[in-house]
Amino acid sequence: MLLFAAMVTSIAAAGFLALSMDVHWEQVRADPQCSPRMVRLLRVLGAACVLASLALCLGADHVSMASLVWFMTLAGAALVVTFTLSWRPRWLRPLVMWIPATTAREEAGRS
Amino acid sequence: MFQNFRLSMAWLHTWFGLTLGFVLMVVFFFGSLSVFDREIDRWAIPETRFDPQPMPSFDGMLLPIFQDIKPTAESIDQARNRVNGPMAESFSPKQWTAYTTHRDPVLSLYANFTLPNAKDPEDAVFGNRTIDPRVGKALPDDRLKLGSEFFYPLHYSLHLDWLNLGTWIVGFAALVMLAALVSGVVMHRKIFRELFTFRPAKHTQRSALDLHNLTGVVALPFHFIFALSGLVVFAGVYFPVTHTQLEPLHELHEKLDAQKTGLPHDRAGVPGTLASVDAMVAEAKRRWAARDAAGEVGMLVVQHVNDANAYVSVYRAGSDRVTLTGEGIHFKGSTGELIREDPPPTVVAGIVDFLTGLHLQHFEHWLLRWLYVLGGLAGCACIATGFIFFVEKRKRQHAKQGVSGARWVDACAVATVTGLLVATFAMLIGNRLLPDTLPLRGSWEKGIFLGAWLLAFAHGIWRTAPTAEGRLSPAWAEQCWAAAVMAVAAVLLNWVTTGDHLLRTIGAGYWPVAGVDLSLIASAALAVVAARMLKRRADAAMVASARFAPDATTSAARA
Amino acid sequence: MARSAASAVHVVSRIAAGVLGSYVFCWGFIALGVGLLFSAGMPFHDAESLSSMLAFLVFLVAFLWAFAAGSLARVWFVLLGGGLVMTGAASLVQLALL
Repeated sequence: MLLFAAMVTSIAAAGFLALSMDVHWEQVRADPQCSPRMVRLLRVLGAACVLASLALCLGADHVSMASLVWFMTLAGAALVVTFTLSWRPRWLRPLVMWIPATTAREEAGRS
Repeated sequence: MFQNFRLSMAWLHTWFGLTLGFVLMVVFFFGSLSVFDREIDRWAIPETRFDPQPMPSFDGMLLPIFQDIKPTAESIDQARNRVNGPMAESFSPKQWTAYTTHRDPVLSLYANFTLPNAKDPEDAVFGNRTIDPRVGKALPDDRLKLGSEFFYPLHYSLHLDWLNLGTWIVGFAALVMLAALVSGVVMHRKIFRELFTFRPAKHTQRSALDLHNLTGVVALPFHFIFALSGLVVFAGVYFPVTHTQLEPLHELHEKLDAQKTGLPHDRAGVPGTLASVDAMVAEAKRRWAARDAAGEVGMLVVQHVNDANAYVSVYRAGSDRVTLTGEGIHFKGSTGELIREDPPPTVVAGIVDFLTGLHLQHFEHWLLRWLYVLGGLAGCACIATGFIFFVEKRKRQHAKQGVSGARWVDACAVATVTGLLVATFAMLIGNRLLPDTLPLRGSWEKGIFLGAWLLAFAHGIWRTAPTAEGRLSPAWAEQCWAAAVMAVAAVLLNWVTTGDHLLRTIGAGYWPVAGVDLSLIASAALAVVAARMLKRRADAAMVASARFAPDATTSAARA
Repeated sequence: MARSAASAVHVVSRIAAGVLGSYVFCWGFIALGVGLLFSAGMPFHDAESLSSMLAFLVFLVAFLWAFAAGSLARVWFVLLGGGLVMTGAASLVQLALL
């Protein structure tokens, strides 16, 4: 159970980190990349999920095995997110559903 | 030779990656299969399809069996030019070993025997037996364990045992893997930016490179640590410094060590009896439990068999952690009293144990094992897409120049990617079809593997002619279809010849066989998907070239 | 691929330096490492293991350097020469210890 949660958290982590990059944001949402503040938040969320995943792995196993499992879930998560972006990018929408679309004025203000 | 560092690394990555990539493909693919080697053994030898068993009684079951084991004919044959004078008729045992893990229903027993008149006094000949530990019955000798005795040694020695040649080749390939990883990072300028990038809709050269970068980077620490730890496992073979140049120093240390540990280095030359080993095992288990590390016996070794200096070493099975648990408890053979309990390992030994334990995976953690398979297959994908990229980048150019380099690389790539799958599935099919009573059955199975692989290679050479003209070779799709059909055939044959179909094995929870069958079906499905994708690309390429044909003739006329 | 015209002999020599030269260098590294560490009191098998593990990383670096370096002569000098010197020194250490 803990390990399943760890895998899901790793996938979320990879998702957040991917979506903090504009090229992938644009695959998932029609509106342009969110504000720099939001981008930073996505990166922080990604990092937090990476650590959460480690904590979950450590809860399930002996330290030496937990670190290997954690590592490999991150690798697996990166693959899952990449293939989702390539074939079904919309599936990653829920990860950034809570971020409002940038208005035209904000967009103009940024450039 | 190069104008800058990046160019030198690119050259090294391309050319060493290409040549040693063929070896690395074998290493990664069969290494991935080896994670589940014992489960493949269960599939291949239906008589062993029962649950893993603990180490049985030595006094009651193993002792008489050990006393019955003789050196194999093969071992004696190989030793003929290592003795002075004629080969002896009988051999006395030196050392007995019994080895089991949490995944083994059957128990492996090994014996080595003194070699009379040997040029090297430490030389030996070997015998072995596999038994059902519930009753002590031996398995027939020629039941080849497809996983642990074929796929696993294939991945580290290529079954080229003469002078350890195969192990050396694999070692060099491992070094090249490390170099390819470092040089790959040097070449890949946008490593973080393109971490999640895979564009399958683009032309083959771009999407192959995307996938190559993805599978290489995402599992980079995995690939690096596995190559490095593999080298560490065989360090004694690659740099036998302490058995050659520094042998005197090694001998000095051995003598000092023997004095310190109390474990006799040599035989006394006086016959001795063996006390109850079961009592020694019970004492060992008590001691492990006392220091909060209760466990099962992984390995039992009797040293200096039948001699007064005999001692018995009991080692714990390391199922619950990554690091190898090599600390043994040693008892005097004739009396059963404790000689020594190995102290916890030193820092350096701990690092070595961790690295080798990481690679050899004796631990019990099914998710981690499957993640290992994922990493290994990612490595295979990395190598395969490397070949595809190489061919795609050069085939049009080579076609124009009338050079066939790209075509040959494509043929070799087909042989080592789809060809290996075809050979593996052929071997599984052969395993189910060959009669049980066939003498040298194991050799026949190996022959089928090799034969199928050579056929796949030949097919690849024949069907990559289009590559020489800059087009996609149909060999890939054809072998994908063949692999898919064969994988399904293997599953069906398992059902027909053993009665163990998926509903039964899943229902009974017998995962070793169910797992292999399910993996075969999954492989077949992937192969079909791949074959259809290839057909779509081939069709699209034909349409595209038909559309551009008028321009091609005009530019050719102009040239 | 842009590289200055290099003869087949040069390429073969580079590969030989990268593979064989590095091997000799690493052999010397291990031999000297074992000798010095053992004489300094480290347990023998620890000295052996530590030297071997480090040697694989040294091999990687030497191998990459053999191709990245500008002067092939320098590569041969350092790898082959250095390797032989370390190997010789190791034998001297062994003689001193026995």
